[in-house]
Amino acid sequence: MKNRQEIARLKSLKLPLVIVIGLVLLCVPLFAGQFFSYLMLTFFAYAITVIGFNLLFGYAGLLSFGHALFMAVGAYTAAFLTSTFALPYMELILVAAVIVSAILAALIGALCVRYIKIYFAMLTLAFGMLFYTFLLKFYYLTGGDEGMRVLRPYLLGIDFSGTPKMQFLAGTYYIYAFVILAILTFVMWKIVSSPFGLCLKAIRDNPEKAEYLGVSVKKYRWYAFVISAAYAAVGGALLAPAVGQVDPGLTYWTQSGTLVFMSLLGGFDYFFGPLIGGIVYILLQNSVMSLTSYWRFIFGAILVFVVIVAPGGIAGVIGSLVKRRERRD
Amino acid sequence: METILNILFSGVFHASTLFLVAAGLQVVFGVQKVFNLACGTFYGLGAYFGITVVKCLVEHNFPKALFIVPLIAAGLALGLVVGPIIERGLMKFVYDRDETFQLLLTFGLVMMLEDVIKFIWGTSPQSMGGIDMVYGQLNVLGATVPVYNLVVILCSLIIAGLISWLLMNTRFGRIIRATADKREMGEALGINMKVVYLKVFTLGTVLGTLGGALVVPAGAAVSEMGMDLIVLAFAVVVIGGLGSMKGAFVGALIVGVLKSLAISTYPEMEMLTIYIIVIAVLVIKPQGLFGGSRV
Amino acid sequence: MGKTRREFVKLVGGAAVGAGMLLAGRGKAQAQAKPAKGVPSGPVRIGAMPGLSGVIAVPGTAAWRTTQMWAEEVNAAGGILGRKVELSMEEETTAKDCVERFRKLTLETKCDVIVGLMSTGNGLAVGPLAEELGQLWLAWDATTQKGVVETMPRTKFSFRSTDNEAEAIGGAILTAKFFPNIKTVVGINNDYSYGRDCWDAYQAVLKHFNPNVKFVDALWPKLGETDFTSHIAALKKANADLIMTSFWSGDVPILMKQATAAGLFKRSKACFTTGGGAHYTLKKEFTPEGIILGYNSFYFKWTDTWPLLTKFVNAYYAKYKEYPVYETDHAYFVLQAYKEAVEKCYSILGRWPTKEEVGKVLSGIQVPSLSGFRGYREDNLMSCNFFMGLTSHKNPYDFVTINQMEVLTPVQIMKPFAGAKLYDWIKGWKS
Repeated sequence: MKNRQEIARLKSLKLPLVIVIGLVLLCVPLFAGQFFSYLMLTFFAYAITVIGFNLLFGYAGLLSFGHALFMAVGAYTAAFLTSTFALPYMELILVAAVIVSAILAALIGALCVRYIKIYFAMLTLAFGMLFYTFLLKFYYLTGGDEGMRVLRPYLLGIDFSGTPKMQFLAGTYYIYAFVILAILTFVMWKIVSSPFGLCLKAIRDNPEKAEYLGVSVKKYRWYAFVISAAYAAVGGALLAPAVGQVDPGLTYWTQSGTLVFMSLLGGFDYFFGPLIGGIVYILLQNSVMSLTSYWRFIFGAILVFVVIVAPGGIAGVIGSLVKRRERRD
Repeated sequence: METILNILFSGVFHASTLFLVAAGLQVVFGVQKVFNLACGTFYGLGAYFGITVVKCLVEHNFPKALFIVPLIAAGLALGLVVGPIIERGLMKFVYDRDETFQLLLTFGLVMMLEDVIKFIWGTSPQSMGGIDMVYGQLNVLGATVPVYNLVVILCSLIIAGLISWLLMNTRFGRIIRATADKREMGEALGINMKVVYLKVFTLGTVLGTLGGALVVPAGAAVSEMGMDLIVLAFAVVVIGGLGSMKGAFVGALIVGVLKSLAISTYPEMEMLTIYIIVIAVLVIKPQGLFGGSRV
Repeated sequence: MGKTRREFVKLVGGAAVGAGMLLAGRGKAQAQAKPAKGVPSGPVRIGAMPGLSGVIAVPGTAAWRTTQMWAEEVNAAGGILGRKVELSMEEETTAKDCVERFRKLTLETKCDVIVGLMSTGNGLAVGPLAEELGQLWLAWDATTQKGVVETMPRTKFSFRSTDNEAEAIGGAILTAKFFPNIKTVVGINNDYSYGRDCWDAYQAVLKHFNPNVKFVDALWPKLGETDFTSHIAALKKANADLIMTSFWSGDVPILMKQATAAGLFKRSKACFTTGGGAHYTLKKEFTPEGIILGYNSFYFKWTDTWPLLTKFVNAYYAKYKEYPVYETDHAYFVLQAYKEAVEKCYSILGRWPTKEEVGKVLSGIQVPSLSGFRGYREDNLMSCNFFMGLTSHKNPYDFVTINQMEVLTPVQIMKPFAGAKLYDWIKGWKS
């Protein structure tokens, strides 16, 4: 009995904790340097991507090894709208990114969700690499290996071209990206705790049973695929103006590997796991890359270590520590 | 005629190394259900190590014409050392887990081994000079073919033959075939699966390192060679069917010859053709051309 | 080529003066143990961004080694105006990461100057960023051209490298000179901007000199391809008098080997516009004599009369057991230019200059570098000579070198100013 109360108490702690962490993140530009704010900005973009990715990976149990494709779709949408069509409205970019990626994901997803496990991973990898080759080959359209420039977008219709770039990124744009992250996190929370989210979990754990109970397994997987692709596109669209340039490297298979890495590092069994993984990955990469030119080895070793020793990721480790304490109490 | 022969020879040469790497992927996947992303890196390791060994011997007046012997030995030895280390040291911990973890473990390995190669051999391209030319060239109906390329094709065929003999006619092969579907089956029959997995993974590694060692005299070892190959090897096994040795053989031939043909006729389409075929196969016949038959 | 010769003589003549200046400068610097008057006491922070993996690893490693050697040497001689040089290295990887690392070096490490980068895509990303941040960026390569059109004709902080297609133009000039009788040409270039720009420029220039030449086929292996047997079959099918390629990394020895093994050079001549990028891997055993080989802007033995070169090549070989490739001089030059610009500013202002002031002096600067005098034009593009010639086995090494070395001046092979249209410029040439 006491145990259950304890858990309820912990659960009630969770929301205030999330709000506090969110506020701290929002205030980063006030106390940290511009560069750290920029890192957090890239984190927001990746955070949105991995939350979406985890709907597929953690909740539906489908490992996509080509998810960077949709991030690139979002990023290239931003490039096309700002550079080619001179329509630098961020809201328009986001909506366009969602639409384009949803259409593409609906097509690709319709093929992919017929398979699971390694076949699903391979098919998504093949599509990711096909898109990579497409971006490289159709250079008169996409700029090939050189990529395309992404100009500074208007936020809510307001032109900020007067502000210095770093001030813009660490100020207005930072808040803008944070708000979008907050909204999309909330929406995802609603999705996973809705009947739809529960069905996905049921499908992951026992597809035959779910099918027997009248859940259309393929359709649900397909929905999850499209939603996660839309999230990735929003992430990519937010990342692109911060970087200022998009290139096909965004959709190479190792980039998709990075998304998987983040989710695993943080713990894909937990809603906030991928977010923890994202922030840890970005901060770790930032310091390890400066430290040694053999940073790939260190990252590989971390991945191997997590896979073997802590498959639950950071959130998993924290979770089991909390549980142990509960038991002791 | 000459042109067709040239395209055919180059395609088959390419296919022969692709087959070795893909076969390494297949044997491991067939038995252990691990999709080994590091197979391309093993290929790179084999290439660099082969150069080091042969160069060292030639400096000590080893007859150049016989270089193929230590080269093969180097590829074998490296695989026999690296394979068990990785299997016992890392892979064995994740067999009970979801396939995802095994895939990610090999992804981590790719990152680590890439830097290991850079650490040992640096970033400069390494080659054996013109050692492969000691065998000269052969004129077949007007097409000039380096004899060494034929040697590589021959070696690859011999290895293919050996593998199929191993699978069909030995106790080890019967165990592999019996346990390809279910690990529990093997254990129920009283087979020590630990040893089987060790052997299988080592075999997979050896095929990769041997492939790298064999191909490198005809080119040079460069740091990006493993990354480059993994995507192609992946295409081969998807087309041929995951886990099927016959599939690796046919798939390698298809990819190799098709690539060669595309380059000679419509070079812009080279890689696109291969991805489109991969996706077409996955959509129409996801188990691949030979996916039905096991190992 | 008469002009070339004259400029070459002038160059070598300048060599003695340059070396003298350099030695004198060193003597003075050594005397300064402490920072000069009006100079901050902390170290000069130089950020370097070499590519260390994949195709760009070959030139990237050479450039990074050179940067370290330069820093050691300068520090041993007392630093820049008595300030020690401190290097911070961040690897060049994808455009996204380059932008992040560049920001880090600027905002966090607070570098005084950032050198490096090789890939054009990364240059296009970092160029505008340098202007926005007000950070000096002295590029090794990584031009800011989209195709052959410069995207940043006027800059204050970005100092760019030579045009991408300079080597192809030089290669075409020499093809017309050495092989006037060829009728057909086949190209094999990497399927990306540099490869495509080179092939287009090569065709335009060769057509200019030799209007009857036919370009029979073009092959486009992707960047990072490591087996060319299939491409060799296609080259054979094309059966052209000359094979042109702009390969520059580890793929050069592979292509050369496989082409020789298949007997391709028995029939065809060849022009490797940038093959010198991995020249020490072109072993005599598989590299024929008498093909055009370009070394970009640095040939490790272009003269015996330039002490800076001899000393550097010997030191480099002693340390790394390899002969340096072209990127070494890009790396050496940008650092030397920075140092001399700062010193020049100091002699006028009497204090350590701001980044903008250094930038102003860098425009139009000329400094003695490894391959002679090298400078920045007024439009902040690097201006230097290119070295090309016919391969030869007559040397003490196990790899080929060139004889009949041709020095191609920037006037010959680079558009006159950053905003110029390449093909209009070529059309305007006198035959």
